[in-house]
Amino acid sequence: MANVSVPSLMRDLTGGEASVDGSGATVAEVLHDLEARYPGFAQRLLVGDDLDPALVVVVDDRPAPLGLSTRVRVDSRIRFLPAVGGG
Amino acid sequence: MITKTAEHTVIGTRPPRADAFEKVVGKAVFGPDVNLPRMAYGRILRSPHAHARIVRIDPTRAEALDGVYAVATAADLPEAADRTERVGEGNVNYKYMRDNTFAGDKVLYHGHPIAAVAARTLQIAEQALELIDVEYELLDPVLDVRQAMAADAPLLHEGMHTRSLAGTADTPSNVASQFQFLQGDPEQGFAQADVVVERAFETAMVHQGYIEPHAATAAWDADGTLTVYTTTQGAFDIRSQVHELLGYPLSKIIVVPTEVGGAFGGKNVGYVEVPAAVLARKSGRPVRVVMTREEVFLASGPSSGTWMRVKMGATREGRITAAEVELCYEAGAYPGSPVGAGANCILAGYDIPNARLDGYDVVVNKPRVGAYRAPGATQSTFAGEAVIDELAEKLGLDPVEFRLRNIATNGMPRLNGGFHEHIAAREVMEAVRDHPHYNAPLERGTGILRRGRGVGLAYWGNWGARSSVTLEVNADGTVSMLMGSVDITGTRTSIAMQAAETLGLSLAHINPAMGNTQTSGYSDASGGSRTTMATGVAAVKAAEEVIAKMHERAAAIWVCEPEQVAYTNIGPDAGTFTCSRNDETMTFAEVAAKLGGTGGALRGQGDVNVRRWGGAFGANIADVEVDIETGSVRLLRFTAVQNVGKAIRPGQVEGQLRGGATQGIGWGLYEGYAYDGQGHMLNANFLDYKLPTALDVPAIETEILEIPWPEHPFGVRGVGETPIVGPPAAIANAVYDAIGVRQGFLPMTPARILESMGII
Amino acid sequence: MNFSYGYRAPDTIAEAVRLLQEGGSGARPLAGGTDLLVQLRHGIRQADLLVDLKRIPELSAVRYDPADGLTLGAAVPCADVADHPDIRAHYPALVDGAGIIGGSAIRQRATVGGNLCNASPSGDAIPPLIVLGAEAEIAGPNGSCRVPVSSFCVGPGLHLLDQGEMLVALHLPIPSPRSGSCYLRFTPRGEMDIAVVGAAAWLQLDESLSYIEDARIALSAVAPVPLVAETAATWLIGRPADSESFAQAGRLAQETARPIGDVRGTLPQRLHLVGVMTRRALQGALRRAKGETIDG
Repeated sequence: MANVSVPSLMRDLTGGEASVDGSGATVAEVLHDLEARYPGFAQRLLVGDDLDPALVVVVDDRPAPLGLSTRVRVDSRIRFLPAVGGG
Repeated sequence: MITKTAEHTVIGTRPPRADAFEKVVGKAVFGPDVNLPRMAYGRILRSPHAHARIVRIDPTRAEALDGVYAVATAADLPEAADRTERVGEGNVNYKYMRDNTFAGDKVLYHGHPIAAVAARTLQIAEQALELIDVEYELLDPVLDVRQAMAADAPLLHEGMHTRSLAGTADTPSNVASQFQFLQGDPEQGFAQADVVVERAFETAMVHQGYIEPHAATAAWDADGTLTVYTTTQGAFDIRSQVHELLGYPLSKIIVVPTEVGGAFGGKNVGYVEVPAAVLARKSGRPVRVVMTREEVFLASGPSSGTWMRVKMGATREGRITAAEVELCYEAGAYPGSPVGAGANCILAGYDIPNARLDGYDVVVNKPRVGAYRAPGATQSTFAGEAVIDELAEKLGLDPVEFRLRNIATNGMPRLNGGFHEHIAAREVMEAVRDHPHYNAPLERGTGILRRGRGVGLAYWGNWGARSSVTLEVNADGTVSMLMGSVDITGTRTSIAMQAAETLGLSLAHINPAMGNTQTSGYSDASGGSRTTMATGVAAVKAAEEVIAKMHERAAAIWVCEPEQVAYTNIGPDAGTFTCSRNDETMTFAEVAAKLGGTGGALRGQGDVNVRRWGGAFGANIADVEVDIETGSVRLLRFTAVQNVGKAIRPGQVEGQLRGGATQGIGWGLYEGYAYDGQGHMLNANFLDYKLPTALDVPAIETEILEIPWPEHPFGVRGVGETPIVGPPAAIANAVYDAIGVRQGFLPMTPARILESMGII
Repeated sequence: MNFSYGYRAPDTIAEAVRLLQEGGSGARPLAGGTDLLVQLRHGIRQADLLVDLKRIPELSAVRYDPADGLTLGAAVPCADVADHPDIRAHYPALVDGAGIIGGSAIRQRATVGGNLCNASPSGDAIPPLIVLGAEAEIAGPNGSCRVPVSSFCVGPGLHLLDQGEMLVALHLPIPSPRSGSCYLRFTPRGEMDIAVVGAAAWLQLDESLSYIEDARIALSAVAPVPLVAETAATWLIGRPADSESFAQAGRLAQETARPIGDVRGTLPQRLHLVGVMTRRALQGALRRAKGETIDG
């Protein structure tokens, strides 16, 4: 079960829990699993079927350029952060 | 991987930059220097209004002017997808980018491009602009971020609803998005505090101030290939932008980056390439479009003005217990301010167990902001460090000691949900504490001139991403290096040094060159302090492949197995192949001489996507002298301390520290966009937009720390951006030390200083 | 907007006057061009013909005579003015002003005459010329004449020259004994900047060097034209040459000033600075009246 940090603005969906576990081989599958248990969870993170471009997904402390298709291990930690730029 | 544990031979030395001579004698080709046969000159028509509906555009009279070859408007661009992509490290929505190339139904800022003209001479193009008829319906502009957030503010985009992880808002708003970080229990934390400080801050929009304006020349071949010469940080990013906005295949677009006369983040996004390309297509001639200085100010990508609130609490013993932060950043006409990065950097240097941060990205009738050297961090750090300083004072603690009591450590969870790794916040603060500047006596004074000292701790996260380097061995034993990264800071030299070090050759053996999108492998933009680091990784990888392949060639010459060949890249025998079968040796050059006979060309390729990298802590110490009759602030002494991981070329690193500090000094004391009530920029020129001159900045002392990032072959961390983050904070704290009044506004102009003291 | 213009470089004043008169409003005199060329490029001014004055000997001449005073050709570059030993010795306020116009590169081209003819309210050479009692020598179709520099500017960017007239030289009287002058301006930056407020002061002391016999004050950037602070200067006559008097003069100068608030300075800031800069200019003039020189 991958562990997903729940952003504070989404904790209304998880009953206040700051992290939840979800199963799946990719970030997308984990989100699909979480959507079933916490309705609306995935929708908050997506624009259409894609990750909201304002967000990046970080898997095991590495930014995941493949986004939702990134493979996750059974003990992976997944976080969603605002996309940040440099100059 | 071949690593060097012995002392380096090339890394850490001070060779001159490979590009220095031609730049000094004026032979380097920058964007505006490109000249092609039959070339026409382009100029852009821009909105005189900050907010208006476009009722009608009629280019007929302009098209009829003798010498005009073509006029272009939004009608000449295909519809763009409402799609956002990471470009140049920020996000770009192509529908908005199209709208920012040629306005659609509205103009959203003074200077918003509406149409473009190509003509035989620049003067005719200028005259033609006046002949394009545009009818506007004026709308009220909104120019202040807090006013833009109000419920009754004029809306820039009627269909914009605030997006956040709490869902999408019901009513339209100028707040494009918001986010929150939460750690621990701030209410509890403040309850535990003995001292609480809360302050609000405002910073003005500022420009990167690059001396070379945006300039692009576009030319179409008979076979439909479009070549765009442009001054940019990312040739491949420009290619993507042109591809999206023209709807033209990537393989048929070549972007050739010219030398860059300053960029600092402002040249990740293109502004004149697509207009040049459209004009070139319509006129059948190459077209060059160069922005004037006024256009650069009005219509490129400055950095956000902000409103911020910071509240922090600490115990009597000097431990911070809670923080609450509100960051409201101007995005300009379209969403995309660096509020997220600002949030990542504010208070990154401190262990704060309970904190909440709310960030807002807000559109206003100003140019859409671009990246500016550690985008977002300078603004938020100014606010954070001021409150840290005030807390220290109220607790009766030395400012550096207070910071050290709360300093971030490795493994510490961060407000953004991550945690710090291999950081040097403590080392940087200790270097400040022990620095001769910090310990030099300073007489505060009681007369007209008052002196003070302040410090600021700074952080920037840096970046990794994609880079590509090709090394080709030549028959004379030299190596040609082609990199896909644009060199904006001297990186062709620092990357050649990393290749030379890995190969065991002297720097003179490597000849570096910048490629273009046709000749080099895909590379992300040179920005985010990634180039020496990530393109260095690519160069090391390419060098290792060269060595491996040279082993095979040596084996072919000796008629032995490659496993029987060894290569030394360190020590007095560096550059030597040895054969264990016959104890013979050959130099790199001797093997190179036989490349033709052993298989032909020999190239090493390094294509990387660096996904983990080290951030950089830095700090500034500022001594100021304030004339309390005029409000003038003079910098007496200024020091920049920074952890760079490993200084490949120390002269380059020192230059980055000084250059960034100078820009930070300008941001802190001199620079800011000024508007009238109707949204017209009042100071779109170098007279009234005040960049500091050499007379305004003291000799900046630098101290370089080398706490390596272990995942880079040489320990390199990004260097270029952290230097700009701390100076306004250090100066504001020094001004407080001098005159006893906190400054909540950037820039801290003489008028503002006098106002803060109640003198005017 | 016309981008092609003619260029002529006459050798004599008479020829220059003729070209300017025949050229009508499209003919403009050119000395250093550091204002004019920029204005032409930006469409702020128009020209059909540039009449380059730099070959005319009288316009490039600098002559100091202890009996006559200073004759300064209108086309002498600021850098030369600021370096000139006689000007440094006898007209220090002019060195203060000419020595800060633009930046060091610009000062190789920009001229004091041009600064006056550009007639900007913030022209740094103008208040020094006024307090030093300078006169402008004008040549035109009807001959030549002299006018006090204090009357030369009639509005922002406007001077009193008619079509066909040109500035030939500036004449400064011989310095009176026990007198000194100073010009200071406030700018945000150290160089490459424009005065937010500038103040020129000239003082003549009595034999005891303690009282003011005569005084003149002129201000830049606080009115549509460089402003003579008559009331403040007159008040100083007979007063002790000390900080209290200067502070009062500063207050009186504030009452005369009519600054605006703009992107370069707020109204309250400018008013405040009138007081500060007037006091400081008077202090500088006092030191020089007592014998302090630029060259130590």
